[in-house]
Amino acid sequence: MTTQAKVPTAVSTDITGAAAMAVPDGAAFLPQTRKFTVAEYYRMAEVGILKSDERVELIEGEIIVMPPIGPEHAWSVDLTNEILVRHALERYYVRIQNPVRLNDHSEPEPDVALLRRRPEGYGAAHPTPSDVLLVIEVAHSSLEYDRGIKAHIYGRSGVPETWVRNLPEDCIERFTEPGPDGYAQHTIHRRGETLMPVSMPDLELAVADLLPRPPASTA
Amino acid sequence: MDRVMTTQAKVPTAVSTDTTTPAVTAVPDGAAFLPQTRKFTVAEYYRMAEVGILKPDERVELVEGEILVMPPIGPEHANNVDEYIDVFAQYARDRFRIRIQNPVRLSDLSEPEPDVALLRRRPEGYGAAHPTPADVLLVIEVAQSSLEYDRGIKAHIYGRSGVPETWVRNLPEDCIERFTEPGAEGYTQHTVHRRGETLTPVSMPDLELAVADLLPARPLSGS
Repeated sequence: MTTQAKVPTAVSTDITGAAAMAVPDGAAFLPQTRKFTVAEYYRMAEVGILKSDERVELIEGEIIVMPPIGPEHAWSVDLTNEILVRHALERYYVRIQNPVRLNDHSEPEPDVALLRRRPEGYGAAHPTPSDVLLVIEVAHSSLEYDRGIKAHIYGRSGVPETWVRNLPEDCIERFTEPGPDGYAQHTIHRRGETLMPVSMPDLELAVADLLPRPPASTA
Repeated sequence: MDRVMTTQAKVPTAVSTDTTTPAVTAVPDGAAFLPQTRKFTVAEYYRMAEVGILKPDERVELVEGEILVMPPIGPEHANNVDEYIDVFAQYARDRFRIRIQNPVRLSDLSEPEPDVALLRRRPEGYGAAHPTPADVLLVIEVAQSSLEYDRGIKAHIYGRSGVPETWVRNLPEDCIERFTEPGAEGYTQHTVHRRGETLTPVSMPDLELAVADLLPARPLSGS
């Protein structure tokens, strides 16, 4: 199906403009949080407002607290990492839960990002959307958020492709064709299929390999 | 006076609704996940101003750990606030101080700037520290488009913090909504008052105000 990835979120839903806006008479008023730029976010870390061990990410100017990573999530990232690293040599770098600079107001830390290789690496500046080949988010309780606002923001920023590893429904949701309104294409993939990232047409991945068996439920 | 339901002031708001704890919450398997913004303390809020992250001319307030941008003040709103200065100034001497659109320190996570706050008088004033709920006699918020927010989350927070009384000047319906009996769940009493009635603040039983004086005539709508 194609989707417009309508944003279901607890963060303030005005993700279009960070500026204070005049409220015309009679219009509904929703309080807007002050949005922060990447530079302000770093300054907060520098002066100790944000502590070095805080798990946060900057999404559309809001500093979002990342919940602790559960074992199924972590293991899913480990296995995905292993599969992708096998194909990585001379093709891409695998970045795990580290920053990607999407724009002046967003610097999320996706579970997996495949980055274009380049001689100078990314030690001087975080990768930007044009450096990213594919983003993967592993989602359980965060599913609505990841395939909603998160995918929307990756798409709008020009990340060519995002996969959401949907743990509850045991499938991969693939978002492609990024544009100003997010991704225009959204498809679901299950065991038995293969997936080829848009930016790496020679790379064929079995969906089954990307869907590690869920842990046996302790009944 | 119409009596409106005793309210629990359930928070209809765009800011994250978990206003109880700023701590990171573990998400158990299967539970719904709502992204939480990082909440800031008053100390962190001031530090941001000190190091230049927040600029001196920014109109913001800290509400439950979130830094909210205050929209520009329209003429009708401003006129109402002016009116309240007039109304209260005649009673202020020796009774209370009038604070207009300036900070009140509610807690470690909230420092809003209510339209009007009547403050207990004290010899040392409030030059060394902002007033806290124990110093506040009455808060008034003037609300037009922000009505749901002001009588929802805003009133809830004032009540939970122990501000004894909050009035919301409801412009669209031309009345005063009064919130009293603060407690852990916000205010438990919520009543609506119109022209012809009088109002006496809980903390100032000798003060009788005509509601009509608190409801300046609304501008004619240009058609």
